[in-house]
Amino acid sequence: MGTGVVIGIIFAFAAYYALRPNADTTNFYNQQNKALLAAMFAWSIGFLIGIGAFIGPFRWLIGKDLTAEEQLYLAGDGQGIKRYFKYCTDHKVVGIQYLVGVMAMLAVGGTMAMMIRTSLAVPGGHFIGATIYNSLVGLHGITMIVAMIIVATGPFGNYIMPIMIGARDMAFPRLNALSWWVLFTAIPVLCSAWFLGGIPTGWTAYAPLSVQAGPGMNAFIATIIIFAISTAVAGMNITATVVTMRAKGMKWNRVPIFVIGSTMSVALAIPAFPTFMLAMVQTATDRVYNTGFYDANVGGSGWLYAHLFWIMGHPEVYVILLPGIAILMEIAPVFVRKPLFSYNAAVMGFAGIAGLSVLVWAHHMYISGWTPTLNGPFMVTTEMISVPTGLLFLVMLGTIWRGKPWMKLPMLGLFAVIWNLLIGGITGIYLSDVPADNYLHGSMYVTAHFHYTLMGAALTGAVSGLAYWFPKMTGRMLNEKAGYTAFWFTQIGFQILFLGMFIAGAEGQPRRVVSFASMYKYYNMISTGGAYLVGTGFIILLWAVIHSWRKGDIAPQNPWGAKTLEWTVPYPVPLENFDETPVITSDPYGYGRGN
Amino acid sequence: MSSDTTAESKFHIHHDAPAVVGRRERLGVRLVIVADGAFVAGMIFSYFYLRGLNANGAWIPKGGHTMAASSGWIVTIPLIVAAMVHKIGTKSRSAVTSGIVLLAMLVGAYLQWHQLAHMPFIAKDDGGRHFFEGGYASSWVLLGGANLFHFIIGTFIALGLFIRGFRAKVDPTLEYWRQLTASSWFTWIAISGVLCAITTSIL
Repeated sequence: MGTGVVIGIIFAFAAYYALRPNADTTNFYNQQNKALLAAMFAWSIGFLIGIGAFIGPFRWLIGKDLTAEEQLYLAGDGQGIKRYFKYCTDHKVVGIQYLVGVMAMLAVGGTMAMMIRTSLAVPGGHFIGATIYNSLVGLHGITMIVAMIIVATGPFGNYIMPIMIGARDMAFPRLNALSWWVLFTAIPVLCSAWFLGGIPTGWTAYAPLSVQAGPGMNAFIATIIIFAISTAVAGMNITATVVTMRAKGMKWNRVPIFVIGSTMSVALAIPAFPTFMLAMVQTATDRVYNTGFYDANVGGSGWLYAHLFWIMGHPEVYVILLPGIAILMEIAPVFVRKPLFSYNAAVMGFAGIAGLSVLVWAHHMYISGWTPTLNGPFMVTTEMISVPTGLLFLVMLGTIWRGKPWMKLPMLGLFAVIWNLLIGGITGIYLSDVPADNYLHGSMYVTAHFHYTLMGAALTGAVSGLAYWFPKMTGRMLNEKAGYTAFWFTQIGFQILFLGMFIAGAEGQPRRVVSFASMYKYYNMISTGGAYLVGTGFIILLWAVIHSWRKGDIAPQNPWGAKTLEWTVPYPVPLENFDETPVITSDPYGYGRGN
Repeated sequence: MSSDTTAESKFHIHHDAPAVVGRRERLGVRLVIVADGAFVAGMIFSYFYLRGLNANGAWIPKGGHTMAASSGWIVTIPLIVAAMVHKIGTKSRSAVTSGIVLLAMLVGAYLQWHQLAHMPFIAKDDGGRHFFEGGYASSWVLLGGANLFHFIIGTFIALGLFIRGFRAKVDPTLEYWRQLTASSWFTWIAISGVLCAITTSIL
């Protein structure tokens, strides 16, 4: 990793030096943008060369394929803790790398959220000032979106999922490692925005604001392009693994529901994210080469950006949400000791949401004036998503119905998510409705709505997943007392924070604005109080994770008595997961049926 | 989940049967093609969206320049040749067919580069600042850039297959599957080239 950092930095400086603007440069800003973008991509490529990510393709090119011994070395065989800091193809190492990376991103994004809420505690916005506030809103948004996209499929999709389906590895181990390290290179690129004047556009980076923004915008553009590559690689790998590497006897109706939900999520991401990448490539060419994609003076249009962004942007919500819900569906039968209620309904729900999600993007553009006649059809497709979402509720409620839940930490999340997703979903119906959206668009109501779905449902689901699989991933039990405390702090704080925001938004407080009228001051004060409770809860959770990882109680092989395959292997999980390949003879939810 | 275990002895890392690995790799490449297809579809959408909108009459402004409709087709010919030759030569795995594919990729890359280097629609404003004349010019250059990117990836694959054609130490079954996998890619970039050529033919 150290070599990668050094070579990456050398590449970045070389690229910047070669393209830097000077006093004679005619188009100073274009040249500056070009040099910065080149430096950022050069850093990424240099780093990847330095850690050996391209050894496989190079050896293929020259006709000297990697030997079994070399592949074992790349998998980190016998390399102890060092393998977590290198290009390692073991999917369990990649899962842990994702887990630590996601926690770091959430911590940074959460800290920015606390600064935003602190600034909004009282009218006037004097705490950090308008410029920093604007940058914080954009950076918080994009950091959290990136973290949330990988929060479940990164750690659990890599560590747990291959074992769950009885595979010895991922389909493409080198690409698996590459997806993480490509993403890793985006982190310093995004952080560099702080030193380049920030991102003043919010995470949506609407054109032409993003075309006109200062040099910090280059960091945003490069981050998204790098991230889109990482997502495509990861999505392709997970999908190919599930399709081609399931254990003998694991027919599609015997595949654990977490695997189904995660695969639908990443399969949805494969075609969705390239459009966001394209939007960023066009922004970059507008900034560097003065193309006119988004400039109406030369035949462009800001609507084009909005289309490309939201064609990715709305499916992306479900890319985040589906794995979180699927985790809870995986957990519910284990802790209620009942079979999953209507497996087929769950699959139909996931498929219905994934299918419809690509047909709803323009509900984000109702008031842009794009095509008012199409508002009606987009309203209908958006509201139709309630139907498959209802199926997911049915499955969760049906599974716990008349059961006697074993109220351990992972199970608490299920109840929280049923509540949060209900509020997030119902408030979303108002936003899908054209007349109501005319009033609510761009208000704090929208902010509260999507936090209920993304944070209240998807993040809570992922945290439940962490509590559930922590023993398998670390060999230790997560501290329950600290976990319960964190849960109640975050969930109570969450309701205070965002219910207050709903009221402020419904009364007209705009989002992304540093200062607000005094009529909203009590709502904001209450929301900020709630935010501090949430922040406290997450600090406790972070402490619990770190402390339990180091000194927690040693976990038995199957502490929850679950029936899926990951609980049949010991900790530490062997390099190839199974000594002998399993053959599946029934579905994974046979609780109470004697199998 | 009830499970049993097989009596198979221990595997060693990444040592599945060559045909199994081959099918898996082909699926992976096809999924990459889905992602790349979404990107190409987005560019074509952009082209027709800006053309239909014609903001300020600046899709092709008065006195503005365009590329000949044949320009897109000229660079598509090497793509089609490469895809067809590769398909025909898949079973033989001969270095000759890989060499022809490699040559087609290099010729195509040169032609595309030449077109991009001699675009007629870059203008200068009063301050000496270069800019693209209109929506057509912007969309054309991006489609050309995507084609060039496809040629570069195609060149890498063709070079690899060419070099490997000389080496004896390759598993014939796996290598055959890799030819099939490469065929998916060459077919896709030819289709993409045709789609881009059709698009840029409609001014």
